[in-house]
Amino acid sequence: MNMTITVNGASHQLDVPDNELLVDLLRERLRLTGTHVGCDTSQCGACTVHLDGRAVKSCSLFAAQADGGSVTTIEGIGTPGDLHPMQRAFRECHGLQCGFCTPGMIMRAIDLVARSDGLDGGAVRDGLEGNLCRCTGYHNIVHAVLKGQELMGGNDE
Amino acid sequence: MSEGTGIGASVKRREDVRFLTGSGTYTDDLNQPGQTYGVFLRSPHARARIGAIDASEALALDGVLAVYTGQDSAADGLGDLPCGWLVKSKDGSDMVSAPRPPLAVTQVNYVGEPYGLVVGETLAAAQQGAELVMTDFTELNPVVDPASAADSETIHEGLDSNVVYDWGLGDEEATDAALAGAAHVTQLDLSNNRLIPNAIEPRAAIGVYEAASGDYTLYATTQNPHLERLVLAAFVQVAPEHKLRVVAPDVGGGFGSKIFIYPEETIVLWAAGKLGRPIKWTAHRYESFLADAHGRDHITHAQLGLDRDGRFVALKVSTTANIGAYLSTFGSSVPTFLYGTLLAGQYKTPNIYVETLGVYTNTCPVDAYRGAGRPEATFVVERMVETAARELGRDPAELRRLNMIQPEDFPYETPVALVYDTGDYEASLDKALELADYGGFEARRRESAAAGKRRGVGFACYIEACGIAPSQLAISLGAGVGLYESGEIRINPTGSVSVFTGAHSHGQGHETTFAQVVSDKLGIPFDDIEIVHGDSGRMEFGLGTYGSRSLAVGGSALIVAADKIIAKGKKIAAHMMETTDDNVDFEDGTFSSGNQQATIQEVAFASYVPADYPEDLEPGLSEKAFYDPKNFTYPAGTHIAEVEVDEETGEVDLVSFVAVDDFGEIINPMIVDGQVHGGLAQGAGQALMEHGRYDDYGQLQTGSYMDYCMPRADDLPDFVVDTTVTACTHNPLGVKGCGEAGAIGSPAAIINAISDALDGHNIAMPATSEQVWRALGGK
Amino acid sequence: MDQSGEYRIPAERADVWRALNDPDTLKRCIDGCQSMERRPDGGFAAVVKARVGPVRAVFNAALDLADINPPESYTINVAVKGGPAGFARGSAAVTLAAQGEETMLRYAASANIGGKLAQIGSRLIDGAARKMADDFFKAFHAEMSGRTPNPAPRPQDDGRAAVPINIQVNT
Repeated sequence: MNMTITVNGASHQLDVPDNELLVDLLRERLRLTGTHVGCDTSQCGACTVHLDGRAVKSCSLFAAQADGGSVTTIEGIGTPGDLHPMQRAFRECHGLQCGFCTPGMIMRAIDLVARSDGLDGGAVRDGLEGNLCRCTGYHNIVHAVLKGQELMGGNDE
Repeated sequence: MSEGTGIGASVKRREDVRFLTGSGTYTDDLNQPGQTYGVFLRSPHARARIGAIDASEALALDGVLAVYTGQDSAADGLGDLPCGWLVKSKDGSDMVSAPRPPLAVTQVNYVGEPYGLVVGETLAAAQQGAELVMTDFTELNPVVDPASAADSETIHEGLDSNVVYDWGLGDEEATDAALAGAAHVTQLDLSNNRLIPNAIEPRAAIGVYEAASGDYTLYATTQNPHLERLVLAAFVQVAPEHKLRVVAPDVGGGFGSKIFIYPEETIVLWAAGKLGRPIKWTAHRYESFLADAHGRDHITHAQLGLDRDGRFVALKVSTTANIGAYLSTFGSSVPTFLYGTLLAGQYKTPNIYVETLGVYTNTCPVDAYRGAGRPEATFVVERMVETAARELGRDPAELRRLNMIQPEDFPYETPVALVYDTGDYEASLDKALELADYGGFEARRRESAAAGKRRGVGFACYIEACGIAPSQLAISLGAGVGLYESGEIRINPTGSVSVFTGAHSHGQGHETTFAQVVSDKLGIPFDDIEIVHGDSGRMEFGLGTYGSRSLAVGGSALIVAADKIIAKGKKIAAHMMETTDDNVDFEDGTFSSGNQQATIQEVAFASYVPADYPEDLEPGLSEKAFYDPKNFTYPAGTHIAEVEVDEETGEVDLVSFVAVDDFGEIINPMIVDGQVHGGLAQGAGQALMEHGRYDDYGQLQTGSYMDYCMPRADDLPDFVVDTTVTACTHNPLGVKGCGEAGAIGSPAAIINAISDALDGHNIAMPATSEQVWRALGGK
Repeated sequence: MDQSGEYRIPAERADVWRALNDPDTLKRCIDGCQSMERRPDGGFAAVVKARVGPVRAVFNAALDLADINPPESYTINVAVKGGPAGFARGSAAVTLAAQGEETMLRYAASANIGGKLAQIGSRLIDGAARKMADDFFKAFHAEMSGRTPNPAPRPQDDGRAAVPINIQVNT
């Protein structure tokens, strides 16, 4: 099908098969390989991106479902020279090790902070329940999200 | 904490920026020109003979390029996947190796075992093709239960039984005698649950062959690219070593599971040569569950004898280890040399005997997973000690203290073949007791009881052995490779530094910590130092990263190389200063003699532009070193877990966890803490929820994140971690290794805590709410 | 997995027996059944599109009948192949007891599954099997009441009559 999708601010007119997943559109078609695939049952969260401002697992959506929508991926929130506050917080707090879950974790965290009035550690843990990390034991991720919340100053992205 | 970027500073990681911005390059992120896609045909049966494989429909499908089977790879002369450690049985006979062809040829022996590869122009074509391949299997009876495997039908044709080896270590007679004379003997039956590693990045491989040059390149999710190259060249014989380059780009976690030489990358590389086009394979998670080497899976009976004072007099341990269907790359060594040798723990137990019966079953091969043998040993020792304390009415911390090896006892030779070089176990214990507020526990227990909860506290005083060494000893015990590491330091003409290490980082942060080490040693700014790893085409040799060895062995190699740089630099500086090199000092990046000075950058420049230069000296300032450790390193520590158990539901809440570890000197405390956190989470996962479970037919019941319970953020508390330091005595950095400790101590501590909450019930892992509820009398 | 159940069918035993041996009736009553053919040896070959949790596939089933004792009882041995989706094997002992104008059908089945079905569907297979049995007997009940099964929601009286009297699942 023909579809229009805005990804990280750039508009794309694409002809995609009906059964193409959003994550494959991002990774294979647009070569935005920062969004990762860690499982086949929509449970690890490594593929989390924002669709129209909300965190979604891009492996559980067809590309067609994002027709007309606006997607933000990890590549779209900050650059090496100008990191997003949440990216900075993850670095400050050593909230990543192998880096594979990190993009999804950060996209989830930004959404979590943006949609709350102030999270404590327990709320962060609950909010990250859909994202798996095998390296960090979550300890530093939780601290990073709290730090990111502080750096984001209550503003959304 | 030190400031700056040298040793001891919590330098923020330089690898983070690429990971944080989505610019990391993992294997699946790479594409090659002309790339095709591979999908493996995997056995749906635990044990079956392979009959006719009809690929005609698949091959007729548009976009399907080839179907390769085990017959093809065997006909092409592809060798079997070897096991790298030859373990001998008590009677001196060699372990029994069942041949493991990279693609099964005549028989499949576990669900998920690959027996063919379908290659397509697109992944979809390959997947559709794979669904159209019709294979006739004749099912055979599977052997699944390790407890009865030795007496069951032999699963491998041509072997006499399912016994891989019957291994023993220690003095059985003396141990039996000491047990017979003991005032008290504690006995337990223990099991160590099968775990599935689950690095979040699934394994992947891209094989590339260039016909014009005959060059092969393998991009793969491996922890040790050189070992991969060595095995694929020497044993499997896909390509000669000098024509094969193995690249491990960014690797998304390993935990051991990416050490091994697997069928998939082997076949992808071989098939790329056959097809003449690059082939990419990326595992689906279900493939990771089925076919990444699993961990643990022991059944153990143990006896601990104590004298009237509570001193340990003997420990006897009898373990059945599930090897799986085949011996994986290091599968033989994990339940033997990496397990039995650790059974002294931190204690002066004078008599120890351990025997391990390794058995084949129709399950996925079992190999090293974070800790590899040492969590299993710690679980045995610390469950026994805790239980003995309970039976004798002794405080578990004090019974441990009474038996601990004391600082003046080092070097301490254990009855199970190790010589501990240093440690201060009571220091870690004391600090942990304080951080855990052990004194306040009874008050907390009463508080919990008032709220209808049972509270328990549990200890684990673990020891581990890292950086398996020295090579000569390891090889004499059956290791197939040396266990040294290589390092190379090139000071470039402009004074910047390229460092090449054979260790591999897949989350550990070597690009940061190794630069700290070199910066500190050579006085060169941290930002001028680049760490290169993971490419057999760029560094000479390496053995990769496993067993918490990278810094102790790979970091030490860099120190030796740096010493060579300094020695050569002194000769150049001496020439510049018109003196002899023994009159030149080096400190903080500056060579000096009297009041003359030259920076290392100036000396490097002089070495590359040798206008006025020592006659007998080669130009350039680049040195390499192979470092072979003299001994293992022995990290140790005390972990204390506190749990609350809900009597109604059996749910266990891990309310606090304190880990005090002695890793020797520490390069980057931030990274060390992170390593401990991750290990603790994996240990908590083993204790509370993870279980790789097969049914009686050998079907994996826990093959997805719906059924294999991974620790999630809301399952875990914030961890309290701290360190004590006794420097390793035999490596130049004084470091011991920190990668596995968290996973080694925590299962025992958590289970001890739950057992405490359950009045001493010997609860098995994983202590799910159902298990605990049953232990509480629920039906 | 073991499962057993009882259903009261509003038809005489001989008719129930006939219907249970009629491929066309069976095809109509099995949700997703694409074909059902009687083989020369008396067994059936069926193609069924089915879903167990996340596993969706076309399954080829071979049904062999044994211990045939018309019109009272038989045993169905089933071998199901779903290619990469996995496989299932099982058997069901079916007995029919005449109760006046009606027939009490009892079955006791056991099965084991393999491949992807087992790996990611094992926790769901009991529910799926129960639902398949229910759906089958619901449709079979409608068929035997002289009505054509209709996928649309139907009047409540049908639903009540098709509710199983007793189903037990043991894993």
